[in-house]
Amino acid sequence: MASLIGSYSLSFGLFFSFFITFFSIKNLKNSEVLDKKIISFTLLQFIFVTISFLGLIISFVNSDFSNETVFNHSHTTKPLFYKISGTWGNHEGSLLLWLLVLTFFVFIFLLKSSEQPKKYRIFTSLFQQIIIVGFFVFLIKTSSPFNFIFPVPEEGLGLNPILQDPALAIHPPILYLGYVGSSIIFSSALAAMVSNYVSKEWAKHIKKWVLISWIFLSLGILLGSVWAYYELGWGGFWFWDPVENVSLMPWLALTTLLHCILVLEKKGILASWAMILSIATFALSMSGTFLVRSGILNSVHTFANDPERGLFILIFLFSLIFLSIFIFFFFQTNKKKIENNFFWLSKETSILINNWFMMYFLSVVLVGTIYPIFLEVLTTNKISVGPPFYNKLMIPFLVPFLFAMAIGPKLKWIKSELEDKVYMFLFLIISFLLSALIVKKFDVSFLINTILITSAFFLFFITLRDFFLKTFKNLSQNIAHFGFSLLILSILFNNIFSTEVITNLKIGETFKSEKFTIKFINIDQENRKNFKAIIGKFNVKYLDGSVDFLNPELRIYNQPNIITSEADIKTNLFTDKFITMNYVQNQEYFNVRYQEKPLMIWIWISVILISLSGLLSVLKKKI
Amino acid sequence: MRFTTIYLLIGFLLNINFSYANEIQTENKIAKNLRCLICQGQSVHDSDSEFAISLKLVIRNKIEEGMSEKQIYSFLKKKYGEWILYDPVLNRNTYFLWLLPLLIFLAGGAIIIKKFYIRK
Repeated sequence: MASLIGSYSLSFGLFFSFFITFFSIKNLKNSEVLDKKIISFTLLQFIFVTISFLGLIISFVNSDFSNETVFNHSHTTKPLFYKISGTWGNHEGSLLLWLLVLTFFVFIFLLKSSEQPKKYRIFTSLFQQIIIVGFFVFLIKTSSPFNFIFPVPEEGLGLNPILQDPALAIHPPILYLGYVGSSIIFSSALAAMVSNYVSKEWAKHIKKWVLISWIFLSLGILLGSVWAYYELGWGGFWFWDPVENVSLMPWLALTTLLHCILVLEKKGILASWAMILSIATFALSMSGTFLVRSGILNSVHTFANDPERGLFILIFLFSLIFLSIFIFFFFQTNKKKIENNFFWLSKETSILINNWFMMYFLSVVLVGTIYPIFLEVLTTNKISVGPPFYNKLMIPFLVPFLFAMAIGPKLKWIKSELEDKVYMFLFLIISFLLSALIVKKFDVSFLINTILITSAFFLFFITLRDFFLKTFKNLSQNIAHFGFSLLILSILFNNIFSTEVITNLKIGETFKSEKFTIKFINIDQENRKNFKAIIGKFNVKYLDGSVDFLNPELRIYNQPNIITSEADIKTNLFTDKFITMNYVQNQEYFNVRYQEKPLMIWIWISVILISLSGLLSVLKKKI
Repeated sequence: MRFTTIYLLIGFLLNINFSYANEIQTENKIAKNLRCLICQGQSVHDSDSEFAISLKLVIRNKIEEGMSEKQIYSFLKKKYGEWILYDPVLNRNTYFLWLLPLLIFLAGGAIIIKKFYIRK
């Protein structure tokens, strides 16, 4: 029943697109004010998609296996929370979620843009409708979440157990808010070009949307990363995996746009560049969905895929890109020549440097992600591009980037002097000494690590000093840059100081190393709702006499029948103790992996800090 | 005399320990740079699959045989193809991969300077 309502509601939703398009075009010619009908119909469309989405959720909650999507991805014994999150844990449901957010955002856009020119608002709504119709057709034609199965199966196939996790339950919605937010930026950029509204006012208006998408994208990536850290059992949080990369690329483009839009807002230059970035951000978000859903990528995160659906998204994506390229060149007005009336040492320069480096990082990730695909198609050579590639190409560029991040915000528009030279020099010396002292103690390559940590410390100290000195001229910028320095420092130290032990242990055995002993005490069994848990009891004794009790689990899920390994992690401010265990084939031994990962929590905290700074900037009333 | 023996013995033990630790480090480093071929985007080091476990043994044996890191990579590359290496080698196939981002960086810099800083 709920499925049926959902299905009809979805088709009704599509109808509204035609009404909206019709009234928009009519409204374009006639009156001076925006036709209220457009807003009402947009709201109705949103409501119908919401009903459709609720219908799917209810089908999941009731385990209605006459619905194919529910049958494929749910099971009666699954906990309620994961029944609900299962709604978007699959291809069809996640696309419906995309659509839901699309319709929601365009409604909010129309509500919140009443001070903007009518033509611009209508065009934004129209371009957004093109995307919305595309998704409607995609959903209804190729991936309907409401297909019926007859006879009705007794039991569902269940959800992949590694997706049954709180962080991953909310990861897709958050990430999609970011992705889809970029659709508004895209539509609004096209609309601004068509209605000749690319201006300081536009920049000011769209900045909020850029910030909001950016916050959600940052948090979405964070959640995915946290999940990978504790669920996938290798103790890493970023692997330069293609699916991770496709979420990072729109983030990089969006971060670039965020800086570029500041120049447009204040100085009225870089308009075309802002347009290109707006288009690129959305194209990257869409291709992210395409690459993940098409099954082209070999990755830990690819769960549901189907090449034919990929083809649809690809064609749709290319049409949108062609449309935007056409608009970009056709409506490009020969505005007055760029007044490059700024000097080398100025805020403009620092933002250009930011854009320059960000584009470089983006190109590294982009080339690294798609080059192997092209190479394989063209020459049938299969190569892998992994962490060493990214590290080699990015780390050398990170050093000047960090320095620029420290100095840039201190500069003034047009022409500036470098103030506080003495302090900066002092901080540089302190950072260097501190880094050298830390790095020397460890058996890692001295030069590159020292230079890297020095630059990160430099940014850290400079932003910290600014925080206490400045009368909060631009608090959100300050916090964001500080957060970034904290992030880089935490990652670097985490990398250098992590220790790891991999060993095979029987119950009762003890592993001894110089710093600690790991004792495998015994195992327990517990039956939970949809899995059986085998819980290993370990204690880890350290030199100073302190003891940690760690209980990693093996979970044997009933449906689908999959064994997963759950890490047990003891977190404190300084370090994470991370343990996982696994079966060793046909033996009474367990493979035990114990890791100490310093400053792990600070990686998460710094990303939260960076996102918060964005929120601060949204909430700020005036400049 | 006795002291010297003990001293040598300790030195010997320490040395063995040291080289042993070094071997593990090299092994881990190599395993981190290899793709676990049967997994979904995991390195050999991170995986506990049979393939990964046996490959780790292979690496250890090769280290004990005295092969250098580079030799081990090329040995594995011959056996399993380039797909196994996470660090793509610079050759005819990968010039673009390595150089394109750097070219983009240079081009970007040139565009910025030409557009904003060279006064006509």
